[in-house]
Amino acid sequence: MLRVRTEGEEVVEVSVNTGYNHRGIEKLMEKNSWIKGMYLAGRVCGICNAVHTQVYVQGVEKLMGVEPPPRANYIRTVVMELERIHSHMLISAVVAEIVGFDTLFMLIMRDRERVMYLKDLVTGSRVHADIHIVGGVKRDIDEVRRDKILSELKVVEERLKYYRKVFEEDYTLVKRLTEVGRIRTAEALRHCLVGPTLRASGVKSDVRFDDPYAAYSEIPFNVVVRDEGDSWARMVVRLEEALVSVDIVRYALEHLPQGPAVPKAFPRAAKVGEVISRVEAPRGELIYHIVSTGGGNPYRVKIRTPSFLNIINTEFTYLGHRLADVPVIFASYDPCISCTERVLVVDEKRGLKKYLSLRELARWGTT
Amino acid sequence: MAELSIGNYSFREVGPRRYVVSVDPDKLREAVELVVKEDSYLSTISAVDLPKEGAIELNYVFWSIKHRAALIVKTRVSRERPVVPTIVDIIPGALGGELEAYDLFGVVFEGNARLRRGFLVPEDLTSKGVYPMRKDAGV
Repeated sequence: MLRVRTEGEEVVEVSVNTGYNHRGIEKLMEKNSWIKGMYLAGRVCGICNAVHTQVYVQGVEKLMGVEPPPRANYIRTVVMELERIHSHMLISAVVAEIVGFDTLFMLIMRDRERVMYLKDLVTGSRVHADIHIVGGVKRDIDEVRRDKILSELKVVEERLKYYRKVFEEDYTLVKRLTEVGRIRTAEALRHCLVGPTLRASGVKSDVRFDDPYAAYSEIPFNVVVRDEGDSWARMVVRLEEALVSVDIVRYALEHLPQGPAVPKAFPRAAKVGEVISRVEAPRGELIYHIVSTGGGNPYRVKIRTPSFLNIINTEFTYLGHRLADVPVIFASYDPCISCTERVLVVDEKRGLKKYLSLRELARWGTT
Repeated sequence: MAELSIGNYSFREVGPRRYVVSVDPDKLREAVELVVKEDSYLSTISAVDLPKEGAIELNYVFWSIKHRAALIVKTRVSRERPVVPTIVDIIPGALGGELEAYDLFGVVFEGNARLRRGFLVPEDLTSKGVYPMRKDAGV
């Protein structure tokens, strides 16, 4: 929940209250086996579940001394990039809705369903991929599925190009998003922001590129960076990135290595040690710190999701803006918590206190 | 294994693009100041409870854009008196990490005025003074 203090229409203070988002998954992992932890990791987030499993599994693989085969790495990459495409489409739709462009919301959500279908095709599930396993993946991709994905991607790419054009050129969207919630490069680094939020402020930092995992070291791709640092730049970075992801999926499928992808067996115990495991989730750097004292379950798993930084550390960006800009700025960080959807508005002069949803707040003053 | 020197501190390589240095709590601020100057942002503060050794280990994980590597500053505090100086004035992005480690492990970050219980932990636990991520919390 955001607590917003205003003087008239101007925002003078914002503080974030995360609510009860620590659901005890870290503690549960300590008490369960390495393999059960894999399923728990996938349940941290619904939208970016495959990256959570990836970051956990690649850490555990290091502790167990297992190397996944190249084909499995490519399949993992395909799933994670499909996830990035639909995640970026989702937030683009949400931002469109918040600024009052409901038609665009409907259109993007319709086309996002195509990507969900592709994810279903690869993993057998629309939302929860759960395709990772220590030492590989659970399902291989056959020729029929591969061709189906490649042809469907053409449609997705066309639509994404169109939506990028809309975000770049539509008068209302540009007016509502530019110069709103501007973050300069030095501020973004000092406040430890990650992902598209950091890249939209002119910092070239992408875990896929800087610290490659899965098959990213073998796939050529661009890191999208913009210098404006405002809400508009963050949205354009996301749509550009979704287009890059389409290319990555295409490349990975066309260059899919031969060989096994599904392991016949995997170890149940890990060696003593600790590992810092990082991946680039759709919202930015996702990091797990896994400590093992040997045996069948982890000693400690620390999870730090990208939104934890992007929401808590951006209190300063709302200051000086109009109240109706608050939801736009908030949504432009792609916040991944359903429970922060409400906002408490405090008007000091009039002694007003009111709970509002983001949608209501975005229409502040219009009714 | 290769080493990376920053100021007086030599970071030990523990894996590809992972460098670790262990410091005493009173040297923590000095080490963090040097790391922050290397174009770094703080990824996370990861606390590990070690009841057998009577200590809580704090891992300050930075990502340095300049070095393209994770720089990890480790420090240890006693479980009975877990006090460490704050770094929010050096790098404001540390706020979430400090609040989390205080609420879940009871590590006090001296000088952080916004430190409070109930940031992530519900009231039924905070009212009993329980730090749920400690191994002996009984949660």
